[in-house]
Amino acid sequence: MPLPDSPPPLPPPVPVETHPYRTVGIKSSADPPDPTRLAPEDAYYSALPRARPTSASYDDSLRVLSSNSVAALRPPPAVPGVGRKLRGSSRRRRRKGAWKKLLWVKQSYPDNYTDTETFLDHLQRNPRVRPYDFWPLVSDSTVIVQHVSSVAIFVCCFVGIVQGRVSPVSVVCWGSVGTALGWIFWDSWILGEHAENAHVAERALEGDDGSSSSSMTSSVDPSLRASQKENQMHGLGLTMAQGETSEREPARRNSTGYVGDTDNAQEPASPVPGPTGAVSGVSPNADLSSMFSSRNRQRLSTVKSAFLIYFALLGLSPILKSLTKSTASDSIWALSCWLLIMNIFSFDYGSGEGAGATKFPASLSTNAAVMASTVLASRLPSTTHVFSLMLFSMEVFGLFPIFRRQLRHVSWTGHVLLTLALVIVAGGAVGITLRGGWAAAVVGSILGSILTALGMGGCSWWLISLQKYKNVVTGPWDPARPIIRRRWD
Amino acid sequence: MPYNIAMVSDFFFPQPGGIESHIYQLSTKLIDRGHKVIIITHAYKGRTGVRYLTNGLKVYHVPFFVIYRETTMPTVFSFFPIFRNIVIREQIQIVHGHASLSSFCHEAILHARTMGIRTVFTDHSLFGFADAASILTNKLLKFILSDVDHVICVSHTCKENTVLRASLDPLMVSVIPNAVVAENFHPSEPPSVPRNMGPTDIITIVVISRLFYNKGTDLLIAAIPRILASHPNVRFIIAGNGPKAIDLEQMLERNVLQDKVEMLGSVRHEEVRDVMVRGHIYLHPSLTEAFGTVLVEAASCGLYVVCTRVGGIPEVLPQHMTTFAKPEEDDLVLATGKAIAALRSNKVRTDRFHDQVKMMYSWTDVAHRTERVYNGISGDISPEEFYGYYPGQDWEAGRDRVRSFALIDRLKRYYGCGVWAGKLFCLCVVIDFLLYVFLEMWFPRANIDMARSWPRKLNQKENNRLAIASKNDRLGPAS
Repeated sequence: MPLPDSPPPLPPPVPVETHPYRTVGIKSSADPPDPTRLAPEDAYYSALPRARPTSASYDDSLRVLSSNSVAALRPPPAVPGVGRKLRGSSRRRRRKGAWKKLLWVKQSYPDNYTDTETFLDHLQRNPRVRPYDFWPLVSDSTVIVQHVSSVAIFVCCFVGIVQGRVSPVSVVCWGSVGTALGWIFWDSWILGEHAENAHVAERALEGDDGSSSSSMTSSVDPSLRASQKENQMHGLGLTMAQGETSEREPARRNSTGYVGDTDNAQEPASPVPGPTGAVSGVSPNADLSSMFSSRNRQRLSTVKSAFLIYFALLGLSPILKSLTKSTASDSIWALSCWLLIMNIFSFDYGSGEGAGATKFPASLSTNAAVMASTVLASRLPSTTHVFSLMLFSMEVFGLFPIFRRQLRHVSWTGHVLLTLALVIVAGGAVGITLRGGWAAAVVGSILGSILTALGMGGCSWWLISLQKYKNVVTGPWDPARPIIRRRWD
Repeated sequence: MPYNIAMVSDFFFPQPGGIESHIYQLSTKLIDRGHKVIIITHAYKGRTGVRYLTNGLKVYHVPFFVIYRETTMPTVFSFFPIFRNIVIREQIQIVHGHASLSSFCHEAILHARTMGIRTVFTDHSLFGFADAASILTNKLLKFILSDVDHVICVSHTCKENTVLRASLDPLMVSVIPNAVVAENFHPSEPPSVPRNMGPTDIITIVVISRLFYNKGTDLLIAAIPRILASHPNVRFIIAGNGPKAIDLEQMLERNVLQDKVEMLGSVRHEEVRDVMVRGHIYLHPSLTEAFGTVLVEAASCGLYVVCTRVGGIPEVLPQHMTTFAKPEEDDLVLATGKAIAALRSNKVRTDRFHDQVKMMYSWTDVAHRTERVYNGISGDISPEEFYGYYPGQDWEAGRDRVRSFALIDRLKRYYGCGVWAGKLFCLCVVIDFLLYVFLEMWFPRANIDMARSWPRKLNQKENNRLAIASKNDRLGPAS
């Protein structure tokens, strides 16, 4: 038997002594191994491409292992017990594979040992991936198409006005007629929604669970439905920032001090603040009549603010006309181009159902659009032109999105029809702007529709095909998400 | 064989912290083992140039532009001239970088490889893969670690993380945990006397952590009132400061718990032990942790540990010293209740913890294991032994684990980093190499003075041998 410290011809694979404390005890307790007997390891160690180490040193290593990697932590015995040694010898063969993913155990594996069984076994790939479907994606992309089309229409109108093909007054008249129509629709929807809400609230008060299956309430968030007793007067599908009764007042105050657009944009949407809301909130089903009067009051205030903005714009127009006189037109085109792109990219395409799901990007987008139309308007020759374009931009960028969102909420068919109409009009407008003449308009609308359809389908398909590259890797190294029940607030 | 080692990191004293003390302790112990160690870091306020610490540990504070939280500006090449100078002057053979957010360390590893020096990198932290900052850091790490000789991680979870982040061969990554200086964290009473806990005795729970989101302060805020409500004879001591301190104080005021919870504010590292020994339970609600040295320190002070099962924490302490909780408010309250009950029933022998921890973790052990890594990369251990061959494993040995210094091989390794990144990295490496050639011509090695080494302290064995030799010498003429 070679001496324990004689160097083997090739170093053994396992025994790397990492524990400085126990070596003395091990050596003293090592009983002489029997080199003539085969160990179970010999079966596969002989298949190794390299020479097996001398059995003495190998067995030594095993012994080191068996008494060294004792997982249970006891204070090290000054003299290793005999009984433990016996147990260790019966267990040592099994201990060979017992690598543990622990740091406090001194293991006889080298530090760079990689355990194939446990290495990366907590790795998870794509744990929360929801695959997309084609048609829902296409239908969701209609909102983007709508917005891009309305921007295109606005730009085409501006080009028409600048080139003198279109009278600005006619543009703004058509726009205003459309806005008025939209407002009437919107008003009736809100009214219907209120009646529905009152109905639901009534049933909820009666103890019914309010699980009415009408198309309206099914789109309403259940948590909102539960909380609607407090703010009964509140249009639930509203997209504006004022979700709560308490927030309404400051928001209004802010917006009245603003440039007209936000005011106007919020005005039709904001319900009437004041005592009636509170009263009806207390007894929701008692005063449908007062609700109607409050609707009237709201209509009145909407008309009032509309006139306010109208006259404010009228007053501002001469100033805006000469705003950028000293700036070259090229810069204006570039600037407005960038601003409109910014508008398209930062526009809030969400359905606005989640509470507080806005509002910084939305305001950024609106402001960019207003800025773009302001600098564009300053290129126009007369005050009437400027006024018309500004008013038109308010209608397109401020009010139209609200209407579109509500329409999508209320009727899907209407939404699709509006999309179709917008695409056709935008295509035609682009055609006219580029070539002129009705033939070009027809060609433009057809071409635009086809291209849009192809684009929608293509982009959806592209997004779905990109999903196979999705590779989210999570594991124990990610910061845990604490689960806290907020009872103390 | 003794080596000349340069530890490079942005983080070093006078800034306090875990990485800083790791570098210091490891260097000291390596010096004790007969190596020569220098530390290269950037200049701190009022600390520029060369400093000597205890034990002849030489620290170079290189003046450099610091951008954010003591991290230097990541310029890829500007550190090279002075780094080359230091390395030649000190005759460095191994460059050991620390911390994946330290650009100093990354640059040093790149330049060291260019100069033909072996490199080791120690990763102290965990990173995710999701957010933009992590993606950027991971790409940078991949760049640096494509050509490193060996990587050391502080826990097995950290190893898995680093292997994934930098696409490394797992056998090139060693796990060497942190350690504690057990003498600095000893319990207050003599450990031979087991203390008996009555059912009405006050149990004090200690929390020492920076009050940040990722340290789980939200969990703590939610759990404290519930723990105190169900266990009237419990007190809290909270040390540490941070952005969540205000929330914590608000919670105390809202629940009127000021007389049961003591807030100490931030404490210095040397005061931590004095705070810890005032308590019985250490509560650690962290959300992510690579190793959790503070847990070991607490256990060394004889505290029973309640911690969340995240990151590398489950590997750190044995079952009988800890109660694990999920990172949830309810579970944390439950686990703390269990721990209190266990202490009250005197089932936990906390008085033995100190000796046990002393055996588990010591810097001498860490230095010993790090030395094996140095031996492995510089060829003093054969690659077969260092990288090993285990039955039943499929890692094919003999992929290029022994990293050759030939430029073409290095370029091959960098090229695999990514479609665009690979080319960019190759460009950087080529420029680095040209810079090296230029520096060799412009500032030739012959003109650089060699620094004298600190007189080496002899270790015990050599001392004895010398003593015997001198005795023989003295005896020789007489006899």
